[in-house]
Amino acid sequence: MAIEKMALVNIIGRFEDLDETLIRCCDSGCFHIEPAFKNEANSTVKLLNEKNPFGVPLKEFASLATEMGIELKETKGTRFNGWTAEQFNELSENIDSEIEEKNGEKQKLATEVSELEGAVLQVDHLRGMNSDFSKIFACKHTACRIGRMPADNLAKLQYYDQTFFFVPFETTKDFCWGMYFCANGDKELVDSIFRSMFFERIHLPDYVSGNTDEAIAKLNDQIKNKKAEIEALDKEIAVLAEKHDQTILEAYTALKKRYDIFELRRKVGAVKEKFYIKGFVPKKQADKFSESFDDMEEVEVVLLPPDADAYCTPPTVLKNGWFTRPYSMLVEMYGLPKYNGFNPTAFVAITYTLLFGIMFGDLGQGFLLFLGGLILGRKSKQAGGIVARCGFSSMIFGTLYGSVFGFEELLDPVFENLGIDFLPLKAFEQSSFILLTAVGIGIFLIAVSMLLNIYIGFREKNYEKAVFGCNGIAGLIFYGSLVTFVVSKFILKIELASSAVFALLLVIPGICIFCRVPFAIAAKYKKWKLSEDEEDMTVGGFIVENFFEMFEFLLSYVSNTMSFLRVGGFVLSHAGMMLVVMTLLNMSATAAKPFTLVIGNLFVMAMEGMIVAIQIIRLEFYEIFSRFYESDGKEFEPMSVSFDTEVNI
Amino acid sequence: MLENYSSNATTAKIRAKYAQLFTQEDYRELAALRTVPEAAEYISRSARFREAFAEVDPNTIHRGFLEELLYRENFKTYIRLCKFQGLDKQPFFGFLIRRSEIDCILSIINRINSSLDRTFLSDLPGYLIKYLTIPVMELSLSQTYEDLVAGLKGTRYGKVLKKIPVREDGRADYTECELRLRTAYYAELLEQADKEFTGSVSDELKTIILREIDCRNIINAYRMKSYFGYSPDEIKRRSLTYYGIGKKNMERLYEAADPEIMMDMVNHTIYGKNSPDTDNIEVEINSVKIRRLRHYLTGSTNAPVALYAFIILCDIEVSNLVHIIEGIRYGVEAAAIESQLITL
Repeated sequence: MAIEKMALVNIIGRFEDLDETLIRCCDSGCFHIEPAFKNEANSTVKLLNEKNPFGVPLKEFASLATEMGIELKETKGTRFNGWTAEQFNELSENIDSEIEEKNGEKQKLATEVSELEGAVLQVDHLRGMNSDFSKIFACKHTACRIGRMPADNLAKLQYYDQTFFFVPFETTKDFCWGMYFCANGDKELVDSIFRSMFFERIHLPDYVSGNTDEAIAKLNDQIKNKKAEIEALDKEIAVLAEKHDQTILEAYTALKKRYDIFELRRKVGAVKEKFYIKGFVPKKQADKFSESFDDMEEVEVVLLPPDADAYCTPPTVLKNGWFTRPYSMLVEMYGLPKYNGFNPTAFVAITYTLLFGIMFGDLGQGFLLFLGGLILGRKSKQAGGIVARCGFSSMIFGTLYGSVFGFEELLDPVFENLGIDFLPLKAFEQSSFILLTAVGIGIFLIAVSMLLNIYIGFREKNYEKAVFGCNGIAGLIFYGSLVTFVVSKFILKIELASSAVFALLLVIPGICIFCRVPFAIAAKYKKWKLSEDEEDMTVGGFIVENFFEMFEFLLSYVSNTMSFLRVGGFVLSHAGMMLVVMTLLNMSATAAKPFTLVIGNLFVMAMEGMIVAIQIIRLEFYEIFSRFYESDGKEFEPMSVSFDTEVNI
Repeated sequence: MLENYSSNATTAKIRAKYAQLFTQEDYRELAALRTVPEAAEYISRSARFREAFAEVDPNTIHRGFLEELLYRENFKTYIRLCKFQGLDKQPFFGFLIRRSEIDCILSIINRINSSLDRTFLSDLPGYLIKYLTIPVMELSLSQTYEDLVAGLKGTRYGKVLKKIPVREDGRADYTECELRLRTAYYAELLEQADKEFTGSVSDELKTIILREIDCRNIINAYRMKSYFGYSPDEIKRRSLTYYGIGKKNMERLYEAADPEIMMDMVNHTIYGKNSPDTDNIEVEINSVKIRRLRHYLTGSTNAPVALYAFIILCDIEVSNLVHIIEGIRYGVEAAAIESQLITL
């Protein structure tokens, strides 16, 4: 339940072996690469920033596949191993030359079809005109323009005294389609008037003739013929595609890998004639990783301690057992701990599972969740694992509550036969007990979080955190005393110690928390200073700042503790919701009873299950993690190349 | 009281529309584009103008039509908002129509003065025609100022323009016409704000209107001072006689020795507080103005206040967009375009 130990790896070799080295790093599946250097001043090492030569052929093969209608998929094959970018380029040109002619023809036809379809759209707006286009355009003394203008401007036309007339054909929401006529001599003036009213002229193609209907029919015929030609060409291209199918897929797969590997060079350093790769591997795999380069004589792999390079922070891999492993998802969601930090997964696993069981206790529903988790585990191991564990916990607490699919009395005889008289716990009869227990659980978890914080603080030699902080020893004594005082005085009504003792137990830690920064500086550096960062912190400023912080700490003790009331609240809410289902069940007709029972249970499971899951995450992240956990770790990302049909170059 | 509640839906609708206005980031992206079709495409994709551009091909659109579409969308937004809960039945809400009518009349006067025949017809935005209360198409046929005044007989503008002396050449002083028309417009607007509404609605409206007048007066005074060297008396005579910052304070600005001193004095008024660092008077004053308008729009629950503020913001937005489109058209650097925008 800790954090995986890492080894820093330096790989040095000749440039001829670079690609092979990178391939082996990828194949190992455990090498986390780091940029070869981070300090610009280090001029002896330079990062490789060459242009990727495999980008162009990769794009070429992707477009070949698109043109030939070949679906890109990963294909195994070794015939392209070791090929250079030039060889790939040559191969793509050879294949391309075969389909180029047909493709060009197809493109030309497609453009023509698109133009014809555009013409149909335009002519379609002129359906009101029944004259032959060719005859209109052939007029010697009359100019004619076809097009559209904003419908708003139509009203203006009658106020012009120039000799023209406009024939509207169709009016849409914003535009009016039509044509205007004028004498050839006035053409320029009238054109300028219409232009000023944003008349958009349509230039009909020469081949449009006859009246509107005839023209549209002719255009549609031409479109049909050209589409048939395109289809015939597609068939010819399909034959070619079948011939080159395998070659293109194999070449694309090989190219994609080479391209990705070349991209990884951006993190590789160059020192004179040699390359330099830096990264991390898990310590237990380090020797095996090193051995995989044994046959490469010119490549040297050096294993070092993870902290050997001050510029590199080792990545974090959480080490978990079978029970806690799925819960690493929640920890990663919050953020990874730093290398050598504290792995909280086990703590999360235990608390999450228990809290879920308490809040969602039902033997039957828990069993279904358990089964659901096992099935979900086939698709997502982590999510399935969490659901299964929570389901099991729900079954245990469901047994304690005596609840099976909402039937609260079903297990009563079992407990009676066993002679256990304090079970099952009845939510509504023992609601005060349940709520107080929930607060008790909260107090316990907050105290444990503080203990964890003290442990981590001492490990990091951070005395402010471990001793004087609000979650350190001072905080624990303060919180513990406060809780003990309240519980003994107001709930148990017993006198554990005099009020003066309690006051002392509150005041001394209170002063420690208030002065945590100067006390920590004094303990660490043996000198008196109000602030570590601010040189000119005044006593007044210090008091004001810490007064408000102290107030916030006190508030957080109370609010975080009270926040756990929701644990008890959900026990009652679950019982309440199932009570509603049972009431509906009693009201239903006999035939509808099974239906009501199933739907009611599924509804409660889905809705409450989700709410409880989210509420516990909230408790974990806000009430617990905030007391001890710092998520400033770096994710372990093993180098890899993956097949992808998208080419983003 | 109940009337105020009944227009709450309009206020909510205005706020929803307000969220669609272009942001500073949008302006930046738009100004970085290289061609007008690209800009048209960008604008046509925005939630605010998507519908207006539905039937338009951004690749072939004429720049003038593009700008007209933007103004048309503003006007239609105003009409839709007024009709949404029947606000247009109250005279105050005709403010944009009245403003458009004044712009049309001034265009016709300008056309008469410059002896350009029929150019007004081409410039007249077609979308306005059916909403205007004056026979704008017939008026466009006027050959002299007297023809125009005769055409406007019986309208609120006829009375105002009748009092302006006609010169021997049959023309009237354009500046005088503009001043009288705008003075009458604001006088009517302030009166409506006073009579049609009560309490905070009336107060807020009057404050917005007076501040709008102040901004107009300051910008005009600065221009008259720096470009034409007018004396304080001339400036005073050519300015609107309503004041948000008080008559004395405004006259003190007019009396400043030179434009720089005047701007320095402006910086000590509410129109200079936290204004952007720019040499452009319009950008500086209007930036402060829109900050106030935003404040009213987001803070006021009164529909008349929200609508009035929103329409001015829309106008400023479109003028920004037109600036950008013109900048792109003439290859102006994106940074230079941005410096002319009113965005604070």
